[in-house]
Amino acid sequence: MHDVWPRIIAHADMDAFYAAVEQMDDPGLRGRPILVGPRSQRGVVLTASYEARPFGVGSAMPMSEARRRCPEALIVPPRFARYQELSEIIMAVFADFSPDVQALSLDEAFLDMSGASHLFGPPSSMGRRIKDAVYAATGGLHVSVGLSGTKYVAKVASAHAKPDGLVVVAPRDACAWLAPMSISRLWGAGPKTQQRLSGLGLETIGDVAAADRTWLHRELGQVGLHFHDLAHARDPRPVSGHRSAKSIGSERTLSADVAGRKDIEMHLRRSADRVARRLRRKHYQAQGVRIKLKTSRFKSLTRQRRLSEPSDVADTLYHATHPLLDELLPFGPFRLVGLAAFDLSRREGPEQPELFDDERRSRDLEKAIDGLLERFGDDTVFRAADLVRDRTLGRQGPSLDFLDDSN
Amino acid sequence: MKFTTDRETLLSAVQLVTGVVERRQTLPVLGNLLVIVDDEGVSLTGTDLEVELVARVTEGVQVERTGEATIPARKLADIWRSLPENAQVAVEAEGDRAIVRSGRSRFSLATLPVADFPRVESAPGDIEFSIAQLDLRRLLDQTGFSMAQQDVRYFLNGLLLEVSSEHIRTVATDGHRLAMCTLNKGVAGADRVQVIVPRKGVVELGRLLRDGDDPVYITLGKNHLRASQGGYTLTTKLVDGRFPEYDKVIPADSQNALIGDREELKQAFYRASILSNEKYRGVRLSLEREQITIQANNPEQEEAEEIVAVEYNGSPMEIGFNVSYLQDVLNVLDTETVRLSINDANSSALIEGPGADDSVYVVMPMRL
Repeated sequence: MHDVWPRIIAHADMDAFYAAVEQMDDPGLRGRPILVGPRSQRGVVLTASYEARPFGVGSAMPMSEARRRCPEALIVPPRFARYQELSEIIMAVFADFSPDVQALSLDEAFLDMSGASHLFGPPSSMGRRIKDAVYAATGGLHVSVGLSGTKYVAKVASAHAKPDGLVVVAPRDACAWLAPMSISRLWGAGPKTQQRLSGLGLETIGDVAAADRTWLHRELGQVGLHFHDLAHARDPRPVSGHRSAKSIGSERTLSADVAGRKDIEMHLRRSADRVARRLRRKHYQAQGVRIKLKTSRFKSLTRQRRLSEPSDVADTLYHATHPLLDELLPFGPFRLVGLAAFDLSRREGPEQPELFDDERRSRDLEKAIDGLLERFGDDTVFRAADLVRDRTLGRQGPSLDFLDDSN
Repeated sequence: MKFTTDRETLLSAVQLVTGVVERRQTLPVLGNLLVIVDDEGVSLTGTDLEVELVARVTEGVQVERTGEATIPARKLADIWRSLPENAQVAVEAEGDRAIVRSGRSRFSLATLPVADFPRVESAPGDIEFSIAQLDLRRLLDQTGFSMAQQDVRYFLNGLLLEVSSEHIRTVATDGHRLAMCTLNKGVAGADRVQVIVPRKGVVELGRLLRDGDDPVYITLGKNHLRASQGGYTLTTKLVDGRFPEYDKVIPADSQNALIGDREELKQAFYRASILSNEKYRGVRLSLEREQITIQANNPEQEEAEEIVAVEYNGSPMEIGFNVSYLQDVLNVLDTETVRLSINDANSSALIEGPGADDSVYVVMPMRL
């Protein structure tokens, strides 16, 4: 039976990321033990492939020691630019699943999947879809995914069945699931702390859960309370993304500067169409709209506002820019015009229909056009105004659509 | 300029006029009150360029020297309010300072040039009429809560005032619910004139009105509405836009109507709302013979259920609402009972207070 979880948190962790990338890119390395790291004796192993791991080789081990344990391993120097490139692809996949993504490193992230059941199904199918999407987008990399109601349990779960794992721990089962595990699985318990816990007779997470809270506090201080909470699967920390998609925007450098309101509005309208389409595709809504204009002297000006309700309708985003444009118009002419939607959330929860038809009609129309563009390609439907614009302003520079995850 | 008066004479004038002044201004002088002293008395003016309020006080003011100055509004209001009761106060402008003296207190405030103070131009009105303050107050109170706030559809961020030879009517909507109140006293010669008064103008106008039969004089111009009452004159710009055709969304009365005790329903909705989702505020109503069940739940899986006995003979049905919209209506109605008329779970519902036929409320259901 699938019970409703108050929060659904996924932890996704690429399997032997650097080694897997090297094996994917070079078929000659597949199925063989490899160590990614510098060839020098003094370096450390960054990642060992799964073929090397049975020899007792792991990350952060001195290269000399690793070569002694696994002499047949091939040493592959790291290619960080390539890992970065794939990391961006992976994070973009995560962003398709949730507006709240917290990246922990190049190859590991938390995703807040709460309220997404109607999009991706129950937690197990969410995990399956994340894994499939990462595999498809990267061209063959596996990710292990853990899902539970807290960040801590999700992280333990993703590590539990590596490689290519998928582990779902229902919140109400989490405490019992953790109980038999070693205290080394407690978040924040290093070798020294583990020794202290052992010294207190605590060997498993279940032991910690059963221990008296005030006693733990007395013996270990604040961290004792922290371990007690973790052992009870209590971890209220939210997924706080530095890397979550903060805004979706579209901007365009023009072949000729524009100064007139009508000309600028045409570009804003087009940006609004693109941005709203991308919002809908990701099942996002935005509650903020920002315009960006770059003057002919290369000074960037932005103005933004909040909407009274979140929207994914181009018409609404576009009309929201009117008072913003009023403020910036005197600073023209402009060489770049852009619009971004921010304060993103998932389109979820009950729907409050409109009393008047306008917004519903706009959304229905835009959704119908989405369908046409998807079936027949990007240039099959456009606004009549765009025809005029192309005639009067000539060819445009390339448009830059962006997903801003910089802060 | 120089005048003396006592604290109470100018207290409400200083406070009401300062109410119009925005906390953050685009021009520094908009943070000031314009004080004009002539032979008969004192005029105080505050403005934010959209709404201007002038208070004119002649009784209880001793003019020593006529003249004009602009004085920081909030500081003046704070000083004035915190002076002892019935204190005698002298106000004087000297160079770029305004001096306020009372007993052993003395304040020297920085002024700004009077010439910089923007005035709303006083174009002649097209329609003039008077209305009892309590009537206008009711028109505003029964509907104002439904105005939108900072909606992209800027024409919803205000109140429609419709004047015809048969009635004076107010309508407000935020796109999800609508409130309409009609006073069946028309203005001779008015041919269904519609203006949209911006939110702030509505709020400030409401502050000026008292619960009495004394009239307030209204002038409607092309771009402005002016209201005068006692010594106060409020001028507000109008929203330039087309208000939606409100009569098209007011549903016809349905056979599926329930009548219940207003106070009892209000209390039940309030209690249920405590456990509704804070963001969406959804509640589910199950209508059955002679009773209504109100259910709410939140993301923490907490649940509320309220059963209220009502008169209902329609077919059983379930319908969802944003509970805040229902609560707002139950709060402004002053009738013993309330009548909720529903066609189906996807169409707007009509709410009325039997016996108070002047007000009509429409609420769009929510799909839960």
